Amino acid sequence: MLKKLLKYDLKNVFKVLVVFYALSLFFALLTRIFLSVDNSFVINIIGKVCSGTTIAMIFNILINNLMRLWVRFKQNFYGDESYLTHTLPVSKKNLYISKILASVISLFISFIVICATLFIAYYSKENINTVKNLLLPLASIYESTVIKLIIAFILVFFLEIMNMLESGYAGLVLGHKKNTNKIAYSIFFGFGVYILTQIFTILLVFIAALFNKDLMNLFYTVEILNVDVIKYCIYLAIIIYSLNIAILYIINLKLFSKGVNVD
Amino acid sequence: MELVKCSNVNKNFNNKKILKNINLTIPRGKIIGLLGKNGTGKTTLIKLINDLLTPTSGEILVNGEKIGINSKKVISYLPERTYLDKSMSVSEVIEYFSDFYNDFDSKKAKKLLKDLDLDISQKLAKMSKGMQEKVQLVLVMSRKADLYILDEPLGGVDPATRDYILDTILTNFNEGASVLISTHLIADIERILDEVIFIDNGKIILQSDTDELRKTEDGSIDEIFRRMFKC
Amino acid sequence: MKFEFDNNIPIYVQLVEQLKMYIISGKIKPGERLPSVRDLALQSRVNPNTMQKALVELEEMNLVYTERTNGRFVTNDQKLIDKYKQDYAKEVSNKYFLNMERIGFDKTTTIDYLNKLGGIK
Repeated sequence: MLKKLLKYDLKNVFKVLVVFYALSLFFALLTRIFLSVDNSFVINIIGKVCSGTTIAMIFNILINNLMRLWVRFKQNFYGDESYLTHTLPVSKKNLYISKILASVISLFISFIVICATLFIAYYSKENINTVKNLLLPLASIYESTVIKLIIAFILVFFLEIMNMLESGYAGLVLGHKKNTNKIAYSIFFGFGVYILTQIFTILLVFIAALFNKDLMNLFYTVEILNVDVIKYCIYLAIIIYSLNIAILYIINLKLFSKGVNVD
Repeated sequence: MELVKCSNVNKNFNNKKILKNINLTIPRGKIIGLLGKNGTGKTTLIKLINDLLTPTSGEILVNGEKIGINSKKVISYLPERTYLDKSMSVSEVIEYFSDFYNDFDSKKAKKLLKDLDLDISQKLAKMSKGMQEKVQLVLVMSRKADLYILDEPLGGVDPATRDYILDTILTNFNEGASVLISTHLIADIERILDEVIFIDNGKIILQSDTDELRKTEDGSIDEIFRRMFKC
Repeated sequence: MKFEFDNNIPIYVQLVEQLKMYIISGKIKPGERLPSVRDLALQSRVNPNTMQKALVELEEMNLVYTERTNGRFVTNDQKLIDKYKQDYAKEVSNKYFLNMERIGFDKTTTIDYLNKLGGIK
């Protein structure tokens, strides 16, 4: 049954997202074409406009992805459609897991499309070299390659977005428990939970800092940090965000499985 | 074993008692009317049986089991609102139902929709509310369930549609199944009822065989109801 | 078949009455097969259980019989049908006389009146 649930959740997310994917790739292609033809002032302007649009499209993909997932969660579990969702012969657990899987899959694909967009629009030897030179000092700290570093950054960003997304889900679950028909409660709780995860993150960093003097400097100075600390931070980020996501997942699932009271 | 058994069920909303100590059994193979004025707890009771609300206290058993996957497999429920994803077309919704309900007869659903002169490829969003409600009725009646729960199926429709709805229910409910119909429009429906349950102010006032009640209280169910509740 | 109902009287009682009328008036012939309970219920827009109850009652009156696999049939016993017809005629006539009595017509006056009425026609 989970497969079937997932099928419909994914269909719903991608129904609109594919349009943004197409637009994003289309403008990336235009950007590439116009920026590669040089010398003409007008064409250059058009190229710049396309480039701006491409960047806007990338943000559109992310925002739309998040919003659609939240709206679907709300409508499916607490809106009119809940009358069908909760009377399907499926466990509450599977209903929730399907939403999480759809979130991870859609975000993952969005990330790939965004990378592809950037690649199509801006890939060139010079650009790559610029990025390489920019990141090389950092990469050398990690004793790793630039490409591995970029992947690590993307991973942290991905986890942060998942954390945000799940905070939103928690907001919807809690807000609905508090008041069945006022969306304001859900938004309020969503922000609340997100801020809590951030406080939790700082708290964990602080605890980690108790065992690492250099890391403690993070809380005292604004000076450029020690090489070792930077190295430490990225691992810490991945661990803490994963922890946040896992905790939110367990709490949401527990609360949701207790049953709903839909209006 | 009873089809549905409610024992000492209470439901509060913000400390307001909506249902008070409901004890009730729904037998098999009967058409039962859940009759009461608006806002007396009919829909709340129905939503409890369908897991859309959780009881404050008490227990509801369907085929001897708590509300859950197994109860949802055998209950076909028509709520009083439109509950389908409006971005879907009718044929997508049919696919959805056959995906999730093993007892759903998609051929029957398509035939009934054809009788309504309905274009299956049409999106629900483009249909009138009345049409959407008919689609929902067809979907719900195309399942071979043990229990059909229909919440106010006749509310706010014209007499011709009323006849269509009653006919659809009578023609299509699974033989041996029970049908629970909640309504405040008693006169239109009392002829098809085996049993009636009167609910008022969150309490079950009476549960009785329809023809028995007509004999002992002398009058139509509608009249008896009016006499009892002076509305 | 057409049925009409009054919600004040138990539905199965009315069904028995109206089905009996169809039989004694000959609209359904002796030995004729009846539609299934479900079809009859649909035609009359009543609950199948109620229709079943009415048919069982008709069986007890011997106006209808069941053949295990083939369904329900109207009795072939013309004498029995005639008897029910006589009973019905008697019942209606008695009621008529009773009503006429209420406005002061005794039996002979009533019969004279009926003859006159029939003659004019």
